[in-house]
Amino acid sequence: MEPTLDKFIHVLYFRGENLSYKETIQKYYSKLENFDSSIKKLENNNELHLILNDPSKLHDLCNFLKKDLDLRLLTIICCDERKLNHGFKIRHIFGSDVDDFFLFVILSMDESHQYFPSIYDVFSSSILYEREINDMFGLTAKNNPNIKPLILHDFPNDVFPLRKDFKLSDDIKRNLKQFEFIPITGEGVCEIPVGPIHAGIIEPGHFRFNVVGETIINLETRFGYAHKGIEKLAESMPLHDVVFLSERISGDESVANSVAFCQAVEKIARLAIPQKAKQIRLLFAELERIYNHFGTLNGILTDIGFPYGASRLNILKEQMIQLNEKLSGSRILFGVNQIGGVKINITDKMLMNIHSVLDNVFQNFEKILEHLRSNSSVMDRLRNTGIIEKQVARDLGLVGVSSRCIGIETDVRHIHPYGYYPLIDLKQKTPREVMEHQVELQKRIGDVLSRFMSRVEELRQSKDIIGSITTLKDDGLSVSMDDELIPYSSGLGYAESHRGETLHWIMIGEHNSIFRYKIRTASFSNWPIIEHAVLNNIVADFPVINKSFDFSYSGNDL
Amino acid sequence: MKKNTNKKDHFIDISFKSETIRDPLKMDDSIAANYRGCIALNPDKDFVLNDEIGEILENSCPTHAITYQNDNELKIHLDNGKCILCGNCQAESPKLIKITNKFDLAKKRRDELIETFPSSVLFGKTYDELGQVLKNKIDKIFGRSLSIREIDAGSCNGCEIEISALNNPIYDIERYGITFVASPRHADILLVTGPASKNMERALKIAYDSTPNPKIVIAVGACACSGGIFGNNYATTGGIDSIVPVNVYIPGCPPRPQALIYGILLAISKI
Repeated sequence: MEPTLDKFIHVLYFRGENLSYKETIQKYYSKLENFDSSIKKLENNNELHLILNDPSKLHDLCNFLKKDLDLRLLTIICCDERKLNHGFKIRHIFGSDVDDFFLFVILSMDESHQYFPSIYDVFSSSILYEREINDMFGLTAKNNPNIKPLILHDFPNDVFPLRKDFKLSDDIKRNLKQFEFIPITGEGVCEIPVGPIHAGIIEPGHFRFNVVGETIINLETRFGYAHKGIEKLAESMPLHDVVFLSERISGDESVANSVAFCQAVEKIARLAIPQKAKQIRLLFAELERIYNHFGTLNGILTDIGFPYGASRLNILKEQMIQLNEKLSGSRILFGVNQIGGVKINITDKMLMNIHSVLDNVFQNFEKILEHLRSNSSVMDRLRNTGIIEKQVARDLGLVGVSSRCIGIETDVRHIHPYGYYPLIDLKQKTPREVMEHQVELQKRIGDVLSRFMSRVEELRQSKDIIGSITTLKDDGLSVSMDDELIPYSSGLGYAESHRGETLHWIMIGEHNSIFRYKIRTASFSNWPIIEHAVLNNIVADFPVINKSFDFSYSGNDL
Repeated sequence: MKKNTNKKDHFIDISFKSETIRDPLKMDDSIAANYRGCIALNPDKDFVLNDEIGEILENSCPTHAITYQNDNELKIHLDNGKCILCGNCQAESPKLIKITNKFDLAKKRRDELIETFPSSVLFGKTYDELGQVLKNKIDKIFGRSLSIREIDAGSCNGCEIEISALNNPIYDIERYGITFVASPRHADILLVTGPASKNMERALKIAYDSTPNPKIVIAVGACACSGGIFGNNYATTGGIDSIVPVNVYIPGCPPRPQALIYGILLAISKI
């Protein structure tokens, strides 16, 4: 049976906070032992690390993980540990859709080996991660069908930024190279290049369309224009300053990214942060989700040429941004988090203010929604536009709204409850509401309308989550981290941004520095779906399809 | 044919009319008192600068916007173009550093962004007052219409949120005669954000060359002014003035809509 949103709402966050991960890990480990008893095991909180001595076993192991354990690939992390005589280490991270559990499969590679095994034929989503490693470390995934440069443009073939012998400020001479797009030929086939500078106020990226008449028959994307070297830069910064960097991975996901970063460090330091800090993080995370979803809905309506609805939603977005400003001093919630807690206090009076603003905003929102639903020209444009298939969504490992619009449930807040989420107590729905919800879900076929409605659903849910916080705890805003962290310890932090699952993996170096900071935003794993969603649609529908996904370019390019 | 008299079928019904935003000018666009708009060097009366405070301040800044000078006299320099408004320095020395909510930060030259203690006074104009001044200028110089092309040279999309907020019904920059256009060929002004990633260098140059003369380039945000937190590394160029000539710098991380409009005003005042 497919997990549905409805199930999610009922069991949401009812798990106890102090989960014992031992049982889950033991459950998976005993199964893995049956597969191969020679693998070594390490535990780290809810992470199970397997050290795979023989890389050639990776492929069979992945098949086993996919078919028997029902895990999906979350990311692949490469780390240059030659300094520690470990060579390069490649960590494949898998996650479950049901259990709060991460599986790390660790491969060690000598410097002499340039190739590591590709797992693209088991997990198609690995192609992107393997391309990224090829760019940044110069290690090539054997048999990967696509090893075109992903992030770096016009870069020399023998320079790899994330290797330790590369200095951050090295000035690399770039030679202009022609990027090879897949050639599509035939009678009546035209090519339309778009970008990197777009017509609207959006980020840079290149889209290469091949069209017959008005219909798109192929789209190839090229990103990396907003690459700022964030992962390399973090290695040169003091730990506490990296919080600011993590906020600027993608400006509109500032809270989600900084929460993921802080939680990774807190996990390594085994730091228990105050309950109040958890509440405030949750409040800001949900406020961020709300203003961004308003922004996306507004964008969708702008792109279908319905400015009346767009303007009204834009007003709601601005009201939320002004609320952010009054609460935190920053309109897009920069500077909220710090390692060990939060910087911004929320008083009971401010909490009352949040509730009253939200009530007002959502009252308006429901009215606008009613009018949108009864407007056939809006519904016509949204319905059956940009349909994605469930199997493709699974293969590409989509997360967030993009997967929810087709009924695949991947909510970090639910699968890996973090912060204050496990303690949130939502009121049960009435049978009538459940029924209505079921009918609503049946209509979700992965088109723009489904994504529109998924966002609406999330908005209401966020409001309920904030509404369930009526009293604030009184145990301080933050705890300080005094001890020096154990060098070369690592931890995975995670959060649910408005785009979906956000993962931050950190390995600490000597003297509280960062040895490796790997960021995988929801945008990175979701971008490839755009190439599928636009097929057989007309070019004029591309903006609305793109906006309905609302991915971040900066969060993808880092 | 039976006419549909059900009111609900019409999108804009009469009952709804009263709820549209009548006068955006009357919307509350006042700036919150705790908004972090600008870090100012505004010392208390009993503040004395010494080596210890100077060095603490210098080290507290993640983007090295604060420099401490100890030659003949003690000085603190604050580079607003690098400041990302994190507030670390204020936590270290609340007696000298005050976070204010002012936004008139745009300057015509890069070095004017560097503030040395003591600092200037607060700015008191609202968004609308500024807008009216701007409108008068645009009426006179550009024949009632000024076209802006926004270019993202690798920003984190924070500045984009604020620039697109200029288009929302509350700030509604079009009422002052400013439009955002789809091509640099139609533009009078280029608003450039981001630390100018190396991957965007070529595209930015091409866009600059495509813009007809006379043209104005405005660097928006700490990243565009100096590289911001990203600085100058293998992937960024450390500010867009290393690629194209810049006329006005608007610092802030990100600059609020008022700060943007003030910067645009400053830019066309040059002509």
